[in-house]
Amino acid sequence: MSNRSGGVLRYFASVTKTVIAIVFLIPLIFTLLVSLRPETEPVTKGNIFFGSELTFENFERAIAIAPWSLHYINSLIFVAGTLLVQLVTVTCAAYAFARMRFLGRDLLLMVILLQLMIPSGVLLVQNFRMINTLGLFDTRIALMIPYWGSAFGVLLLRQTFREVPIELEEAARIDGANLAQVIRHVYVTNAIPAYLAFALVSVSTHWNEFLWPFIITRSEAIRPLTLGLNKLIKTTDQGAFYGQLMAGTLIVIAPLVILFLLFQRQFVESFARSGIR
Amino acid sequence: MSCTRIACLVLLLIAMTAGAAMAQDDVVIDFYFPSATANDAEGIFQRYADMFQEENPGITINSVFSGSYTDTRNTILTELQGGGAGPDVAVMLSIDLYSFAEEGYIVPAQSFIDAMEDGDAYVSDFFPALMANGVDEMGTVWSIPFQRSTPILYYNADLLAEAGYDAPPTNNTELVEIAQALTTDERDGLLVPVAGGFPIWMYQSFAIAYGRNIVSDDPTEVYFNTPEAVAAVEFVRSLGTDLGVGPAGGAAWGDTPVAFLAGQAAMIYHTTGNLSRILDGAEFEVGVWYLPSGPAGEDGSGYGSPTGGGNLYIFDDGSKSDEELDAIWKWVLFLSSPQIQSDWGATTGYIASNATAWETEPLASRAMEYPQYGVARDQLQYADKEFSSYATITIQGIINKTLESILTGESEDAQAAMDAAQAQIDGILAEYK
Amino acid sequence: MRAQSPRRSHLSVLQPYLLIAPTLILVLMFNVLPAIKTVYDSTHRPARGLNAAGKAPDYVGLQNFRDLFDEAHYMGTRFQRTLRNTIVFALATVVIGVPLGLLLALLLNHKQPLLGLWRFAVFYPSLLPLIGAASIWSFIFSDSIGLANAVLKSLGHPGLNWLGDRNLVLLSVIVVNIWKQAGYFMIFFLAGLQNIPRDIYESASLDGASDRQQFTALTLPLLRRTLLFVIVISFIFAFQTVEQLQALGEGGPNDSANLLLYLIFQNISERRNWGYVNAMTIVLIGVVLTFTIANFLLFERDESN
Repeated sequence: MSNRSGGVLRYFASVTKTVIAIVFLIPLIFTLLVSLRPETEPVTKGNIFFGSELTFENFERAIAIAPWSLHYINSLIFVAGTLLVQLVTVTCAAYAFARMRFLGRDLLLMVILLQLMIPSGVLLVQNFRMINTLGLFDTRIALMIPYWGSAFGVLLLRQTFREVPIELEEAARIDGANLAQVIRHVYVTNAIPAYLAFALVSVSTHWNEFLWPFIITRSEAIRPLTLGLNKLIKTTDQGAFYGQLMAGTLIVIAPLVILFLLFQRQFVESFARSGIR
Repeated sequence: MSCTRIACLVLLLIAMTAGAAMAQDDVVIDFYFPSATANDAEGIFQRYADMFQEENPGITINSVFSGSYTDTRNTILTELQGGGAGPDVAVMLSIDLYSFAEEGYIVPAQSFIDAMEDGDAYVSDFFPALMANGVDEMGTVWSIPFQRSTPILYYNADLLAEAGYDAPPTNNTELVEIAQALTTDERDGLLVPVAGGFPIWMYQSFAIAYGRNIVSDDPTEVYFNTPEAVAAVEFVRSLGTDLGVGPAGGAAWGDTPVAFLAGQAAMIYHTTGNLSRILDGAEFEVGVWYLPSGPAGEDGSGYGSPTGGGNLYIFDDGSKSDEELDAIWKWVLFLSSPQIQSDWGATTGYIASNATAWETEPLASRAMEYPQYGVARDQLQYADKEFSSYATITIQGIINKTLESILTGESEDAQAAMDAAQAQIDGILAEYK
Repeated sequence: MRAQSPRRSHLSVLQPYLLIAPTLILVLMFNVLPAIKTVYDSTHRPARGLNAAGKAPDYVGLQNFRDLFDEAHYMGTRFQRTLRNTIVFALATVVIGVPLGLLLALLLNHKQPLLGLWRFAVFYPSLLPLIGAASIWSFIFSDSIGLANAVLKSLGHPGLNWLGDRNLVLLSVIVVNIWKQAGYFMIFFLAGLQNIPRDIYESASLDGASDRQQFTALTLPLLRRTLLFVIVISFIFAFQTVEQLQALGEGGPNDSANLLLYLIFQNISERRNWGYVNAMTIVLIGVVLTFTIANFLLFERDESN
């Protein structure tokens, strides 16, 4: 009895799984198909899957619209520069909040947590003024600086650090380790999954960011990938040439999608072990 | 302690970059432009900048792509309101005049023109209709026409011929007749792109064809609930409902030319800014004609189209040196010269804005080869001012929202909806009287 | 470290503050101070009319908020409709997206052939930039040349105006959001599921519990924390995600699919509306704050249990 119902359930599960996966994949598949179709043949004309020929015209046009390799480099610098500083600031603060006693600790933590409650996205104008006051407009620093402090990271690592047995720190102290050595060898080494998860969230968030870079930069020389894509989207003001748009979209999304395809197991596992839940 | 030290280093880094300043010997002109054309606008502007820099050593043009027209306006306003430097010269919609003049961000081109030896000749070479939005109620010229356009009627001449029509419609009655004859399950007879957030421009051409524009030369007056204005929106709505020649609620702006090129729309209203792309992309004979005339009459008074597109604006809060302003004006003169206007018009389809440009290569021979280019120019004699007033952005928003609610059937009673909108508009404009 | 020599004590008093200083200063600069400025600005209104430029804003008390809740006011109409949409949008994401994420996690938790591919299929949307995802869907939803209508037409249906019909456009935006987020939610549930010890299920199976009994009696209670967390972040996300509207109908006809943060974004550049923009920002922060505090309280209570 239990066996048969299990069989039915498993059958039902694999049907559901297949249907959902296909529905979810359709946009990606058609992005690819449309990018390879001649522009004068939208999917409403002729065969829905393939046009009269396969063409790379759309890619050629999309590539000509923006300096993609420059945008790639800019995006890399943006996410790496953001993450590296974050790792330092977050580690320092998380250690202090996890293991030190000091006046006003809970209050200061609450202040930092305010960041989670007041999304910087809604403070665009005021933050823009702040950047201008600092004289940072249209610089790489301006892109990254609002994210260098991360309440999410502090919260995540504080939690992880607290689970590190205090005896490990005490032992290290007796061996003569200073604070930096304690943090590096006791806490950081024991929190790698949490760091990995934090890095993944940080990188994918900033890699995909649009509004802030759009407002705070002017020069092509420092603008990230999403702004190249925006340029493609905005050419639709004069006609939605989807072949070209889909080709450009593929250029932008390919790296993260391929990386995930290769590393999805590690990705999911580091999430599972990070304590994000 | 190295952890604290790194933390201090980060703080120091923040402080240092804040103080860093760039040294520059040349006069640098920051020039912002919107992506208005599907062609490679950046490449074209780079070419112009190179030509200009060769003629004017010591001046560097820094061209910045700034998104759509709306993005451009918003980013420049955000930048200036946040205390930023902003551009020196920008291409923005011709109707953005009051938004920027009200704030004191731009200076009139008039003073530069007055200082020219042949200033009158320079101004009078521009088509009068294209100057309408760049001049304030006192007659002062603020901005110079650059990438200008009007809506025109594109038609698939092959399809019309198949159905026995060898000429395009010249009035609304013929327009509906032909559109209905050409509508099939696979194809729309007529697409008027009023969906997608900006119906006011297309709508205005109907309002003018019905006999009364919704604006005048007085920026404190808007006429949105007149009988003509109401009749015009009801006609546009009926295209998608009773007359059934297009989608209810109107077509989307970007989809319209693509559907036309694919043969899925027999006729479309669209901007002349797309002329080159459509001529180059079509596999059938593309016809172009004036927007059909409305009830106001076929003697010409019933033809109607607003002008559109972007002008060159000069930004100065009073802090720029004569040398800088001189360089800025040189760049504006260069971009509005017949030579560049001819090249820009031939490459994109925007209406070259001065008469001399049409006698200059490459446009002269392009217009000879494709008479379609001349139609857009000749329609200018019937064209009228595009919507613009004080508090333009807010009032335009009210009009757009009201039109959308009528066109999608949310407000069945057009007159009532437009009366309510007019009351809100009058309330805002009262602050300026 | 609690037994330090007196010589170092003055330094160690400062130490924790130095460690948190960078984070604290950055948060103060880019979140707290701007938020306080927003509160102040929401009670003010820029000078309007001729020659208003350069004049100081007027103090208006709560008038900006009153206008927002006035149906006849031009911004009031837009605000109220947009607030309603935002709530519908958030609820729909939670009610459909979260269970879908849970379902996916349950389906894709166990070892099975092609597991990586299945997970990829449902997770890749959350890797895309919002603006990229929206550009893909703008093609699917295009009225005259889009995929959805091409399929409908091949089935004999005349097609739907996905982004132009005021009754459909919010639905379209919700569909995109669920497609984008479900895989992301799944990851959290997968993490939660993998933290449940396997042997619990084994002993339950030995006791003869059916799959359904195991799910309701074991899985759901053990996933309670994850579930709460996902619900809260999905709400908060829903109030903060707007970039897709840039490519998907820009709020729809007459704001039929506009969302609060996008309405704010649409109005930040016109000075006359700044009072309203700041007031709307306060409303938005209020909503997000409520959810976050609720989340925090629930968690703290959970932890102390």
